[in-house]
Amino acid sequence: MEVLNQRSALLSNYEVLTLLRELESDHLARTKTALRIKKEEEAAGLPPRQQAPPDDVCENLRTVEVEAIQYLSADFQPTASQTPEGISQLTRNLAQWDLTKAEKLQIVNLAPTEPVELYVVVEELEDRFGDKMDDMLNTIKASLREAATPAANGDEPQQAMQVDHVVYSEFQEDYQGDNHWDYDANEVVFDDAGEGAGIEGDLHVEDD
Amino acid sequence: MFQLSIIKDTVAVQPAQFGLPPEQAITNDLNKKYANRVLHDVGLCICVFDLAEVGEGKVRYGDGCLWYKVIFRLVVFRPFASEVILARVKSSDEDGVRLSVGFFDDIYVPLVYLPEPTAFDSKERAHFWLPGSEVTSSHELLDSALTDRMYIDAGDVVRVRVESDEFHDDEPGPPKAHEGVQQARELRRPPYTITCSMSEQGLGPTSWWRNAGVETMDEG
Repeated sequence: MEVLNQRSALLSNYEVLTLLRELESDHLARTKTALRIKKEEEAAGLPPRQQAPPDDVCENLRTVEVEAIQYLSADFQPTASQTPEGISQLTRNLAQWDLTKAEKLQIVNLAPTEPVELYVVVEELEDRFGDKMDDMLNTIKASLREAATPAANGDEPQQAMQVDHVVYSEFQEDYQGDNHWDYDANEVVFDDAGEGAGIEGDLHVEDD
Repeated sequence: MFQLSIIKDTVAVQPAQFGLPPEQAITNDLNKKYANRVLHDVGLCICVFDLAEVGEGKVRYGDGCLWYKVIFRLVVFRPFASEVILARVKSSDEDGVRLSVGFFDDIYVPLVYLPEPTAFDSKERAHFWLPGSEVTSSHELLDSALTDRMYIDAGDVVRVRVESDEFHDDEPGPPKAHEGVQQARELRRPPYTITCSMSEQGLGPTSWWRNAGVETMDEG
């Protein structure tokens, strides 16, 4: 074994999650087919095969796959409200500011929607983008899907299928509530913008 | 947090796998070899991303396997220094806090990287932060009112900054003849550890900062 390039590219959490979900669904499809074939053979009255077909399921891969999907789709991650289109739109919009690659990646991964979160990710945020912070936050918010859909697809599809019907009615009821909440959120944003401008002004005086 | 590493390796495809398309068989073999393992100075391998180059499968004298020379890309978990990540608190002790991201849990926050001033509450088995307090000795901190304390409880979701990472290769060498068979197993270090910090505004349990506006930031 030889490592040719230790870090040839960086991946966003969403990309890894998509990849792992694909692997997971592949695996499930394969298990189902195997099960179906076995059942058909049994139904046809064939004697059970002497040697089970070599099961190439890798325990290590399954473990890391399931655990990583759990972590990446946990409710504290923004992945549930992200879409491929939203992310590519976000990266295109982020290009207008002079952010480093690492900062952009972290913005995509963490989707900071509050000033405090953005302060952590972007170095010297005030000096570099003092007055553009609200634009930045609004851009990030725009890239996120409004209502988080039940993201159970990847976890346990069989269960999710059953649960889906139950959840559906609740989800519709919530829809109204969500709308209200969104409007509230927007109002707060506008308030923030006003306050922020004042505070930034103060800071500039201090700096001088 | 994740990266792609390009790796060159030789894999043997067992005759039993000849029924599969070669790329599928090779990917399976590579996943078997690398998934959920730590590669020294590379990181924790997750899975194969894609195959870049695959040579001709060759049969060697002695076994029936097809040997392929492969160059492939691997998804690796290796957060870079200064990256901010989300994790859950796994446990706390006198030396600091241990975090987990589910598939990897050798992430530590030592005492020096906890927010100032903090103390360890041995009854609750958790560290707590006293925001805005001037006291420094742990005795005084432990005298504080319970309502002022902000605990870092197990299971909390925390935002931390990666400070450094370390790799240890503790492979035991060949057994020495004069030592005989009985060999005291020394304490094994985890092969890959990440050291993180939460001693910054905005870091620490996410619930601390959820409704903190710009006002809080002005303090710091």
